[in-house]
Amino acid sequence: MKLLRVFTALTVGALLLGLIACRPTATPTTAPPPAATAAPTPVPPTKAPEVVRFIFGRGGDSVQLDAAIVTDGESFRVTGQCLEPLYQYEPGSTKPVPALAEECVPNEAATEWTCKLRKGVKFHDGTDFNADAVIFNFERWRFTNHPYHFPSQVFEYYEYMWGGFDDASLITAVEKVDDYTVKFTLAQPLAPFLANLAMDMFAISSPTAIQKYGEKYGMPEVGCVGTGPFKFKEWVEGDHITVVANDEYWGGRPKIDEIVWRVIPDDSARFLALKAGDIHATEQATVEDLAAAEADPNLYILTRPALNTAYLAFNYKIKEFQDVRVRRAVAHAINRQALVQNFYGKYGLVAKTFLPPLVMGYNDAIQDWEYNPNLSRQLLAEAGFPDGLSEVTIAEDVPDAGGNIVYKAGDKIPLKFYYMPVTRFYYPSPKEIGEAMAADLAKAGINAQLELAGDWPTYLSLRRNGLLMGLYMLGWGGDNGDPDNFLNYFFGGLSSEDEVKEPAGREGWYANQEVAVLLYKALVNPNPAEREALYKQAEQLLHDDVARIWIAHNQTPLIFSKKVTGYVPQPVGADYYRWVEIQP
Amino acid sequence: MTRYLIRRLISMIPTLLGVTVIVFLLLRLIPGDPAVAMLGEHASQENVQRIREQLGLNRPLFLDREALKQGDLKGFLDSQYIRFLGRLVQGDLGASIHRRIPIATELRQRFPATVELALAAMVVAVALGIPIGIISAARRNTWIDSLSMVGALIGVSMPIFWLGLMEIMLFAVILNWFPIGGRLDHAMEVRRITGLLLVDTVLTGQWEAFVDAVKHLAMPVMALATIPLAIIARMTRASMLEVLQEDYIRTARAKGLHQRLVLFRHALKNALLPVVTIIGLQTGNLLAGAILTETIFAWPGIGKWVYDAIIGRDYPVVQGGTLLIALVFVLVNLLVDISYAALDPRIHYE
Repeated sequence: MKLLRVFTALTVGALLLGLIACRPTATPTTAPPPAATAAPTPVPPTKAPEVVRFIFGRGGDSVQLDAAIVTDGESFRVTGQCLEPLYQYEPGSTKPVPALAEECVPNEAATEWTCKLRKGVKFHDGTDFNADAVIFNFERWRFTNHPYHFPSQVFEYYEYMWGGFDDASLITAVEKVDDYTVKFTLAQPLAPFLANLAMDMFAISSPTAIQKYGEKYGMPEVGCVGTGPFKFKEWVEGDHITVVANDEYWGGRPKIDEIVWRVIPDDSARFLALKAGDIHATEQATVEDLAAAEADPNLYILTRPALNTAYLAFNYKIKEFQDVRVRRAVAHAINRQALVQNFYGKYGLVAKTFLPPLVMGYNDAIQDWEYNPNLSRQLLAEAGFPDGLSEVTIAEDVPDAGGNIVYKAGDKIPLKFYYMPVTRFYYPSPKEIGEAMAADLAKAGINAQLELAGDWPTYLSLRRNGLLMGLYMLGWGGDNGDPDNFLNYFFGGLSSEDEVKEPAGREGWYANQEVAVLLYKALVNPNPAEREALYKQAEQLLHDDVARIWIAHNQTPLIFSKKVTGYVPQPVGADYYRWVEIQP
Repeated sequence: MTRYLIRRLISMIPTLLGVTVIVFLLLRLIPGDPAVAMLGEHASQENVQRIREQLGLNRPLFLDREALKQGDLKGFLDSQYIRFLGRLVQGDLGASIHRRIPIATELRQRFPATVELALAAMVVAVALGIPIGIISAARRNTWIDSLSMVGALIGVSMPIFWLGLMEIMLFAVILNWFPIGGRLDHAMEVRRITGLLLVDTVLTGQWEAFVDAVKHLAMPVMALATIPLAIIARMTRASMLEVLQEDYIRTARAKGLHQRLVLFRHALKNALLPVVTIIGLQTGNLLAGAILTETIFAWPGIGKWVYDAIIGRDYPVVQGGTLLIALVFVLVNLLVDISYAALDPRIHYE
């Protein structure tokens, strides 16, 4: 009988819990912060004043809130509201406009930039924003022996955008002219200087906060301390991050009181949370949910202007791919229009160049490859493959990172088509898109085996070492809206006009000296019109050479409750939240 | 009993060491470099190398035979695994490669969330599963039995992913009873004592937060409890049916004892032994396998955290997480064994 009683009690208990859960919804209240006393005493919840809270649902948590040491979009989503750079991107565009600097002016040679800083701005910890703060941040990022450039931290973007650390840095000095003026000296003219300055990772943090918290700066217990329109409030890992409006913000107090970014990893569950009214907005919805959102009278969709390109790359260690006729045959075999229609819907654009249309240097005059399988067959026949292409030849030995030969010169291998193992914003359904492309190729006599190389780190690692031996899918999302960030990263990288462009494994061993020199010239040329012409020329050369096959640009959709207005999705940099309003 | 316990606790050490060796080996067998995963696309080779050295990834996995050949004993032992063990002995699980946050800090935050979810699911599964099993056995071959067992079959075969989304659709979107995701409304704060929100809200008297925590727990518990509930119900029924065939049950009935007394006092206690084993195993599974539930319901536990760490090649997180899960598994099994003695007086541990 004792057991029966136990079970009855448990069952009743479970049912009671269920009943409690079904009680009418209580208004959320804010309890007082944890008291210092140890003994648990009842804490009566107190009614907080009506807080206008914007809740954004996202798929993953931030990694860290020290913008200088992270590379993931989910971290910048938050730091972009809390920290500000000297320049920022104009709302809805990629044009750099002043933020914490009132203006930055170059000298004639464009090797020195003098920046006038905004006066009267304070960090969230009450300290002043001034020239010293700017210098502290830049020196911390640059010098590996700086006391706050901790060995455990990697200032990845500083190295990537400014050429390196210490003496390798393109910024050779940041000097204080007066309390509100700093002068940047560069090793060479750098056309994208302002575009670089505006990047989220070069936002200015409070030196006092960094000195106070050391390595803990940016971690959940500290968060970020900047000058932005919102101040960090709390971070419950894996659950949510909250920031509150900065009443003293130099650009005017935001219209909402709080932003909460909630982590809901599953795409469908996140969309249902939006429908249920638990969140106000979300990104990365499934195709089905997007269709449902379009039909829902309580929701609306905004698109993020495309600053990305999905592409299909050749591995140039394959002898057959060294023949431009074969590459052209591949280009004409893929029905990109159908791919975009079927997999991107109205949010996709067929890509005819690497640069998306909104980036300076976009070459609209280029005659895109038409979809023509017959022409593909003809080109293959001209190249010596009248029966199509199913097997390819390794042109020269290909070693792995450890120097062991993985592919031997002269070996024959089946033609492989590597599809991406994960969805990225530029490839919404990579496996299905890969299958469609392989089917298109087969129609033109190019029979490629679909290949799953492993999970995402494995895929990237193989690509990095030039070991995706065949055709492979990948894409790129711009970091600063400048064409240099697209083209020079992949096809350039020279440090002088005379340098020889070496083929790199991570680029499928492609090298084009003429393109690389053009890109170097564009990098150091401060004249926008001349730069634009150089990039257009480079794009034409890449097109003529069929260096890669550009597939699509994706304008990622964001779904909002109709209660929300004023949200500005950015093609580059963090979205603007400070004009967001929520109707009751 | 005490000696038995000590013996079992000591025998846990090689088991856990075995787990660390296997996890260490398997993690490093899968391709993909944590330094590259951490640094991302733009990483320079020098930086990748620097980080590899910093993380000790340039050291041999278990022992450095080259160093031994040169007579360098210290170098011989200076391997990734020995370094890990050395830190472990000092109670240091290391820090996440990606987030640089100590594993212990993250575990303190996330493990109670998983424990709360798993325990609540198990309480519901036991509280409903055993009575259903008993009733099915007692009313064998009636419509109640058929209904229960068909229900249990559906429960076992129900994909959690689908069930979770259906629950959200019904209880959150249509009925608006329960919130989607998280453990507590973000506008509420609960003073942390145990990390288990239901317990902490009761201890601090924050009743409104308690109700909110229960509402957040309801849907994930429903999803997570389905499979163990069905398994427990089926196992209880089968075990009860077997015991009800025993001679001593017939004797009890012949004595004229009431059916309820026969079922609960005589049959159930003996029938529970295999059920308890299943409960133990299922509790372990719930702790380790709550990843789908945690993903759908945005529950900030260790399942999703360890999964993300595997994808990101965050070795210390995977090592710390799996070690903890293994420890819990071993402890739960120990508890199951001890409970045998409580249920069956014939079992003695020496």
